[in-house]
Formats: sequence, C-alpha cells, structure tokens
Amino acid sequence: MRPAHGPDVLDVRDLDVRFPPAAAPALRGVRLRIDHGKMVIVGANGSGKTTLIRTILGLERPTSGSVTLDGQDVRSIRGATGLSTNLAEVYRLISLPVRDVVGVIARLKGGDPAEMLGRLHEFELDEVLGKRIYQLSTGQQKMLGNLFAVSFGASTILLDEPFDNVDFTRRRRFVRLLQELPADVLLNTHELELLVHFSGWQLGLMFEGRLIGPFAVAELDRLFLTRGARPDALATMETSLGTFSITRDAGDRPVKSATSLNALVEALA
Amino acid sequence: MNLWRPYTKAMLTNPFLWFWAVAFMAFWVAIGAFVESQGIGPSHATVVAYTTSWYALIVLFSLSMLAVAIANSLTYGSSALAYAFRFTRLTPEGYLGSIVGGSAILGGVLSFALLGATVGMFGSRFGSVLLPADPLGLLAVALLGGVFFMALSVTLILVVINYLGLRSASFVGFVPLLISFSLGNAQAYVALPRWLLYGSPFNDLASLLYQAYSGTPATVVLGTASAALDWSGLLLGVLLWTALLTGTSILLLRRIRARQLEEGRQI
Repeated sequence: MRPAHGPDVLDVRDLDVRFPPAAAPALRGVRLRIDHGKMVIVGANGSGKTTLIRTILGLERPTSGSVTLDGQDVRSIRGATGLSTNLAEVYRLISLPVRDVVGVIARLKGGDPAEMLGRLHEFELDEVLGKRIYQLSTGQQKMLGNLFAVSFGASTILLDEPFDNVDFTRRRRFVRLLQELPADVLLNTHELELLVHFSGWQLGLMFEGRLIGPFAVAELDRLFLTRGARPDALATMETSLGTFSITRDAGDRPVKSATSLNALVEALA
Repeated sequence: MNLWRPYTKAMLTNPFLWFWAVAFMAFWVAIGAFVESQGIGPSHATVVAYTTSWYALIVLFSLSMLAVAIANSLTYGSSALAYAFRFTRLTPEGYLGSIVGGSAILGGVLSFALLGATVGMFGSRFGSVLLPADPLGLLAVALLGGVFFMALSVTLILVVINYLGLRSASFVGFVPLLISFSLGNAQAYVALPRWLLYGSPFNDLASLLYQAYSGTPATVVLGTASAALDWSGLLLGVLLWTALLTGTSILLLRRIRARQLEEGRQI
C-alpha cells in the first residue's frame, strides 16, 4: 500500500532533553531534518537514540528546542496518521488478541487490516494472531511493532532498534521491505555492521546525546575518527572523553572498523 | 472514531475483572445470605429490605472494581493514548465516548450477574424468589453506575498520570473502592447527614439500586425504618457528579502524558 499522501517534513531543531535528577542531558542540541529521504542513526545503547524517537513522537517533553511535522509542533498535532513507529508501548492501547489489535490499529490509522495480516503471513508470524501482545516473545513483539510501523500507508516511519532480537531471515526480509517502501524512514540502531544494508541512506552518529552528521552511508569507508578538533573536520564532537573530529579519507581510526562508536571513542581517548 | 466494541470485548474477556467484580462479590453475597442473615425474617418486608440492602452495596463494590480495572488499563496505556491522539484518528472525545459505552454495558452485565447470585442465594436462604420490582430502573441505575465509576476512575488516574507520576497509580486506582466501601457500609449502619447522602454519588447509587430492586424508597439507614430519601434528588446527585467528572476527564485526556511503566515500580 502506498502512502495516502506524500511524506511529511520532519524537522528537529536544537533539541535538548533532560531527565532530572540526572546531571547530563539525554539529548544535546540535536538537529535533524527528514524530507523525502531515509536516515539511519548509529549509536551505542544509552546514547539517546530512543529518547530522540520518543521526543519526536511527543512522548517526552523537550527541555528546549522543537520538533515539527510539516511545520506543526508535534505536541499539539492531531490525527497525523502518516507518521508511524515501531515502539511497542504505543500499541498497548487495548488488551486483546493480536488479530483484534490489528483491526483496531487499522481503523485508527484509516487502513485495511488485510494489509497487516498479509505482512504477518509474509513474515511467518501467523501464530501471534491468537495471542495477546504480552504473550509474544521479545522478537515477535519487535517484529509486530515493525510491521505496524510500515503498514496502513505510513509516509514517515520512525524505527527504534528494529533488528533487536529478530532472527537473520526476518532481518533480511525487513531490510528489503524498508528499501522498497515509498516512505521517509528514520532508523536507530547500535549495530554498525548493519550499515552495509543501507547504502543509499543518510547516516547520523549519536554519542552522549549529540547527533553528528548527516553523512552518507555510502561514504562510510572514507570516514575516520580523529582525536582533537581538526580544521578539515566534517564535524566535531565534544564528549566527556575530549574533543573528536570526523574526517574524510584520513584520520586516527576508520569509523567502519569499530564494533560501536563508544568503543571507537574510548580506544582513541 | 469509536472503540466501544473492542473496549467492551476487552473488559468482558478480562478474567481478573470477572474474578474480583463477580466471583469475589458473589462470595460476599453468600456471606450475606447464609452467614449474616441469622435473625432476619420471617416478615417479608424485613427479608426484602435485608436482601436489597446487600444487593445495593455489593453492586456498588462490584462497580468500583470496574473502576480499578479501568484505572489499570489507562496506566498501561498512557503512551499508547498520547501517541494515538497525535498520530491516529482517535480523539480524546472519541476515546472517552468508547469507554462510556463500554463501562455502561459492563455496569449492566455486572449488576445482572450479581442479581442472579442474589436471587439464587437469598431465595435459597429465605425460601422465596425475590425479583426486582423495577428491572428497567435497575438496569438504568447500573448503566449510570458504570459511567460514573468510569468517569471517577479516569479523572483520578489521569491526575496521577499527568501530574503526580505512576508511583502513586496503584494506590489511587483503589480510591473508588475505598470510598465505596466506607460510605456504602456507613449507610447500612449509621444515620449519615442527608446532605451527604444526596451529595455522595456512592450513596446515591446504592440508594437508587435499593429503590429499583425493592420498589420502596431507600432510607437514611439503608433497609431500616428510618426517614425516606427522594429518588429524584439521588438521581440528580449522581448525574451532576457524572457530568462533572466526565467533563474533567476530557480536559485531562487532551493533555495525557506518556509515562514509562517502570516509573510505577514500588520497590
């Protein structure tokens, strides 16, 4: 099913989020714009990726900054059915078997439940239909959220760690589905090695609540992390371990060599 | 956009609600019929007053268990609602309309399930089948009771979700039950002031249930020969409270705050 209308422009400006009494902000000055494109954000667990998605959805209150969808503040937005997410918590609207929940969400999104039922069949998840969401395995819950997110004509899709606890076969199928979707996508992951699947996408690097980028995933091989502020840097980031620069074609360590961004920064610090 | 059918289905298939609001309350009906009834009768009027007093209070407690279930549902669904109001066609008014419809139906179902238990057990004890004098009136009060307890529960739990945080949610969820138990039992044993009996929606509901079942006006001390209460005043009281709380619920739902369940952990 194609989106009912074109993707909305998602604009995040200077977003700060703090969770008192924690001293360190969860998000610091995040800027991001998704306008007819797909972006993957890579960052370690705890770097602020999920907080970013929850704040975009209006589920967290920003300390400062703004999130707008087609120019409208998300906190006051109503009935914007084109935006969708895989966060499991947003599908806990009612305690019924998955088949009924699919019917409810389809009605609320203005879609056809047959689309979602077809996707569940395609991903060999028919067995979940008679169960309630809390009875599903973690991987099944994740895939259910993923499939809700991409169904019912979603035009802007926010995916938080969509591959966590998902088996290899379903990962591959879902990656293919994402590539084919005529929708804007913002995808979070902590797995750098997954980037090979998203060569046409934009890339953001998240570290200690800061979003660095965007770069192109296709140029990942050329990106390096270098200690200190470099004049030729594509971007610099201030961290608790010092200042680091992202440079092109030369630098201390290639970004793609790391298992995680945290490990890379710690190795250089 | 209306969800009253799936909402009602979710409530009707909730085994915990059936246990606490029906089975556990039926246990107390049995206590009323077979344990506490020593010395009641043989006068028919005494039996009617005794039976209907028990029924009115048990239904009040049962409806307050419905309120607990609704509060839990909202606690678990705060993120889902905050999301749904922004990114689906669901509106706060549509959602509240759905749970008004579902709660009214549940009020009817619970009150008639307990009516069956009351008729059966008290009939067995006293040797006569005591059917409601005004079954339609009884149904109407039960439907209204379901809506009142829904509105009370939604208002209380949304204050917690929006302003206080989930750590107090499990306690506040039981407030309707605690008030029902206190005021309901008080009316069975002591002469509460008339302003309280008319002004308290819990006593309004218990008294209206009593009148619909027995066919005689409820009294200041329920089921005794004390002063009678006027049904129109009782009805007005519960209607005003229901309208006030429903309006407040809408305002609170419009600004519902997504809360992480982990916030509600006590220890």
